[in-house]
Amino acid sequence: MGNNSLFLIIKRMRTPMFVLVITFAISILGMVLIPGVDDQGKPYHLSFFDAFYFVSYMATTIGFGESPYAFTYPQKLWVGFCIYLTVIGWFYAIGSIVSLVQDKVLAAQIALANFQRKIRKMEEPFIIFVGYNTMTRQIIDRLAHNGIRSVVIEKNEEKVKALSLEDYAIEVPALVGDVRDPKVFKIAGIHKHNCRAVVSLFNDDVMNLHVALSAKLMNKHVMVVVEATQDEYGQNLSTIGADVVENPFKIVAKRVYLSLTSPSLLMIEQWLYGDPLVLRKKDRLPREGKYIVCGYGRMGTALEVGLRRAGIDYIFIEASPEKAAKARSGEKVIVGDADDKKILLKADIQEASCIIAATKDDLLNLSIIMAAKRINPDIYTIARENRMTDAVVFQAAKIDRVIMLESLMINKTYNVLARPLADRFIRLMAYRGEEWGEKVVKLLKEHINNNPETMETVIDEDHAYALSRLLREDGERTIPYNILYRRRDDWRLENRMLVLYIRRGEEEMLLPDPAMPIHLGDEVLLAGTKEAFEDVEYILENIYELHYVMQGSEHELSLARKLGFEE
Amino acid sequence: MNLEKVISGFFIILALTMNFGFFYGDPTVLEEHSRYELFAAIIINLIATIYKLGDKTQLGAVLLATSLVADIQLIGAASIWALGEYVTGMNTEVVVAIISFSGGALLANIVSVILFTGDVLKSKR
Repeated sequence: MGNNSLFLIIKRMRTPMFVLVITFAISILGMVLIPGVDDQGKPYHLSFFDAFYFVSYMATTIGFGESPYAFTYPQKLWVGFCIYLTVIGWFYAIGSIVSLVQDKVLAAQIALANFQRKIRKMEEPFIIFVGYNTMTRQIIDRLAHNGIRSVVIEKNEEKVKALSLEDYAIEVPALVGDVRDPKVFKIAGIHKHNCRAVVSLFNDDVMNLHVALSAKLMNKHVMVVVEATQDEYGQNLSTIGADVVENPFKIVAKRVYLSLTSPSLLMIEQWLYGDPLVLRKKDRLPREGKYIVCGYGRMGTALEVGLRRAGIDYIFIEASPEKAAKARSGEKVIVGDADDKKILLKADIQEASCIIAATKDDLLNLSIIMAAKRINPDIYTIARENRMTDAVVFQAAKIDRVIMLESLMINKTYNVLARPLADRFIRLMAYRGEEWGEKVVKLLKEHINNNPETMETVIDEDHAYALSRLLREDGERTIPYNILYRRRDDWRLENRMLVLYIRRGEEEMLLPDPAMPIHLGDEVLLAGTKEAFEDVEYILENIYELHYVMQGSEHELSLARKLGFEE
Repeated sequence: MNLEKVISGFFIILALTMNFGFFYGDPTVLEEHSRYELFAAIIINLIATIYKLGDKTQLGAVLLATSLVADIQLIGAASIWALGEYVTGMNTEVVVAIISFSGGALLANIVSVILFTGDVLKSKR
């Protein structure tokens, strides 16, 4: 219990304790002063001990009877008075304790003290999430499955209660508090050296900016991951040093662009975000014909960039004249309700190849798609889904492609936090073009299987004990990456895997040559099967396995060394 | 004038004077020490302790500590008295123990009063 809660208890208990002492004192004194008669009829006085003993059991309503001798009437009169006096005092004290236990202020203080203790004891790296909602809930869940701890700061007490009912793989401490108060960040442990990142995924850009600013000011070494849906906030965030600024609309626009220009890169990107490594037929956007984009808001403007770069002919429909007025000269924007048949016809829906419903209203998006399909049944439909709870309706609507912003953000944030190399790989490969992408997809499919897994590791003491020890002992020796490919049961055979990416300080290598030597401190992204990764982990960590795959023989050791007498 | 200060000052000083009243006299002769005075000293000390509760300052903490010492010493004296009267029987050793316990409480009460007056003198009002 913290200092504050203890003081709160003491302060509240002052009056009851005072009442208790006074009533006891009056009763005891009276019992001592009033004379009684003993069993031989002689007068006597109760001693202080007798009186204390009697009053103690009388006040607590235990009542062992009159002691040491039966009371006289004057004594009984006094006892009658004392019963009411002390019992009331005693009940008042007990009542105060009970109400104190139920007290909200005290409960909050105790919860705070518990939270602080948990943070203090946390040894492993953790991530602070600001705001608890459907997105952060899923991210926390996935991180917990990978053994990464999270801490939540949430303003709404109800949500914190909901969190405590959630069944996470690791405990997630949560704090009720407003991040606008800098103290809250401090309590959540932002100063701790093992605080890895602060994540803020509010819908409100101002709030995200605020969180990023205070987090960076309090600990400039902590990674800050924030969402920003408007460009001006995105720029501000980058200026104040936010490490990762996520804009879901830009991701959408990039994906639309990729699927129009280089589908295989899109395939790899989606695969690294956790989808299977396939591009279904309905994932392919039509490359000819006109696109109709409904909604010229944040998503519309982002799509505009993607479509223009891909060289697609497009037209916008926007309900609000103010938003439409923001369009650059030369952009075609029709003002009107996009689910209105007349407006759709005005946008040449019969000729259009694709319609994108990109408003922030899920119902409107659905009705746009329905209206468009009624006029042009062959049109390719893309709809934006804002809330995950609407998934069932969107599924029933048979839309070719549903863009779920929240799940995009979940995958992106998870990648940034738990799989930073995969995230970096996605960014680097964008410059490589379709041909390179096709090569990679072919390599992955032929060399591994249709849906490989990925693994990230670092060549250091913690993640590759055996290998880093060998490299350190023998500085001259070069060990190529392809020893990781070898199988533990037969070193001449190779596992189905591939080194995708290596980061060595500032140097970055996409699809490096497997004959390249391993350096200490390399960060490696691998693709392969689960079995292959199991072998890799053994080879990295266990000196015997490493020795075997390197030399093709069992590790010969002297008995003394085996028993640990020599190092 | 602060009524709270008057009351707490009253009880702190009364605790000392009561304690002294009981302690004063030949330490080997129990008749020179009134049992009523010990009872009053214990009650007044308890009340003084309650008045000192809940003060978060450094001085408040030390005042509370001295009061707790005095309480324990006085209740110890009363317990020895009860033990002597009903279990071991009264002899000089028991009597001296009772009085010396209350003497210890007296010292703690003196420290308490010094701290209290020091604090009063320090404040300029």
